[in-house]
Amino acid sequence: MLRPPEKPNGRLALVLDFFFLAFIGYVLVLGLKRPFLWVLLYVYIDILAPQRIGYSIITTMPLSLIAFTAAFGGWVALDRKTGARFTIRQGLMLALLIYCWWTTGHADFPEEALTKWDWVWKALLFALFLPLTLTTRARIEGLALVLLLSIATIVIGTGMKTILGGGGYSNLKFFVNDNSGIYESSTLATVAIGLVPMLWWFVRHGTIFRPHWMVTAFAVALTFACFLVPIGTEARTGLLCIATLGVLMLRYTERRLMFIAGAGVLGLTALPFLPQTYYDRMATIAQPDGDESASTRVAVWEWTLDYAKSNPLGGGFDAFRGNSFTYTMPMRKVDGNTTSIEYREVTDKARAYHSSIFEMLGEQGWPGLIMWLALHLLGLWQMERLQRRWRKADTEATRWISPLAAALQMGAIVYLVGATFQGIGYQPVMLMLVGLQIGLNTYCKRIDSAREQLGRSTARRQVIANKTLGAVAA
Amino acid sequence: MAYAMMRLVLRAGLDDDPLIGDIQAQMDDSRQAMSAAGRNAARRAPAGEPAVAAGDAAPAGKTER
Repeated sequence: MLRPPEKPNGRLALVLDFFFLAFIGYVLVLGLKRPFLWVLLYVYIDILAPQRIGYSIITTMPLSLIAFTAAFGGWVALDRKTGARFTIRQGLMLALLIYCWWTTGHADFPEEALTKWDWVWKALLFALFLPLTLTTRARIEGLALVLLLSIATIVIGTGMKTILGGGGYSNLKFFVNDNSGIYESSTLATVAIGLVPMLWWFVRHGTIFRPHWMVTAFAVALTFACFLVPIGTEARTGLLCIATLGVLMLRYTERRLMFIAGAGVLGLTALPFLPQTYYDRMATIAQPDGDESASTRVAVWEWTLDYAKSNPLGGGFDAFRGNSFTYTMPMRKVDGNTTSIEYREVTDKARAYHSSIFEMLGEQGWPGLIMWLALHLLGLWQMERLQRRWRKADTEATRWISPLAAALQMGAIVYLVGATFQGIGYQPVMLMLVGLQIGLNTYCKRIDSAREQLGRSTARRQVIANKTLGAVAA
Repeated sequence: MAYAMMRLVLRAGLDDDPLIGDIQAQMDDSRQAMSAAGRNAARRAPAGEPAVAAGDAAPAGKTER
């Protein structure tokens, strides 16, 4: 629900707006020398949404439009575009974009569908444009860093508020008093946990900020803040994401037993510091029937499956608004020392999907779901292939590839686990991560192809040299 | 982040990748050596000395007139 932000005093509001505008102006000026920076500026604005954080003049400025025009125009007019390739995954995103446009035209709820289409098409278009700009290692790293630091800006604030006692489900306020986009608590928890592997990649392989004790100290503090997000927001999905990340880390840990024991000790040490409300909320993971949000989830999923039988091509964005179901839910009543459970019939209407898989199925039908799954599964496979291919790279110029592929793969798996329980199928940050995966894959293909050509050329040269020597000797 | 942006702007490899650039430079060298001029130079060059193709910058003291 949108709520008007609590306005600080006039001078503070102006300072905040000035700070954001100064930074945006600074990057726009830097972009005159290197237009790729405008791409990074769009990423920063799209994630952090300074126009929603600010209070005065900044709220009226079309910052996203300015940044996107600069990014796209800069690429078209000034970039050399050497090595830019259009890949199969970009083709999938383009197909999904066109398909979403078609379903929007035939949506069950045209007005609501248009509202969602308004941001989805931008997120998809930018994600399929992004890999075209990622033609060098520095650009890949630059994008990863801006993604990370933009999320970190929100995560650090959230972590501090949690430590200072401002947590609680639906109570924790981020920069924006608006439970949508990246500022939705479960989404932020998923994204924060998913980016932890990439954060640690920077500690070992970063070249913008080289490995240094200060980088390590920042990474430790930021990792702590990332883990505080699911605690502060009491997002159940966040706990699942932490567990998923723990399991994935086992693959890259040499001393697995030590890792499991360490994680166990760390978890047990943290338990006394967690509030009772956190325990109560997490308990509903195992007993979903005690919580409305959890118990309706299964009902919505069943409804979506039925809906897809009669609407296999999807009902357009926000098709869930047509659902309605009645179910029995246990209600606990505490009276003194006695706790009684009363079963009441609850009717729910227009309940959201609470799962990206069912979101895609309900809104875009089977074709949309297949395209979305193919987009992500293909990414997991490509990152696995890159890890294996570059694992034994021994030069500084290529040693970073395999660990980055591993970090992106872990991030994608954490996202997919989180997405199973939230409707974040078109989440811009995750689509940018898809863009980053595509960029890395294309870059590695270019290295392979250039080396292959060089190998062929050297072999041919050897043959000619031998023939020449033979002729001279004769 | 402002500092990171500044470092990126000052970085030489932002628009041209050094690794791919290196491979391509080697490929150009190889192509040059395989060209007719390169082959002729290889034939002319005494054993153990590098070949110099027509149009290449000649090493000091080796220019033929």
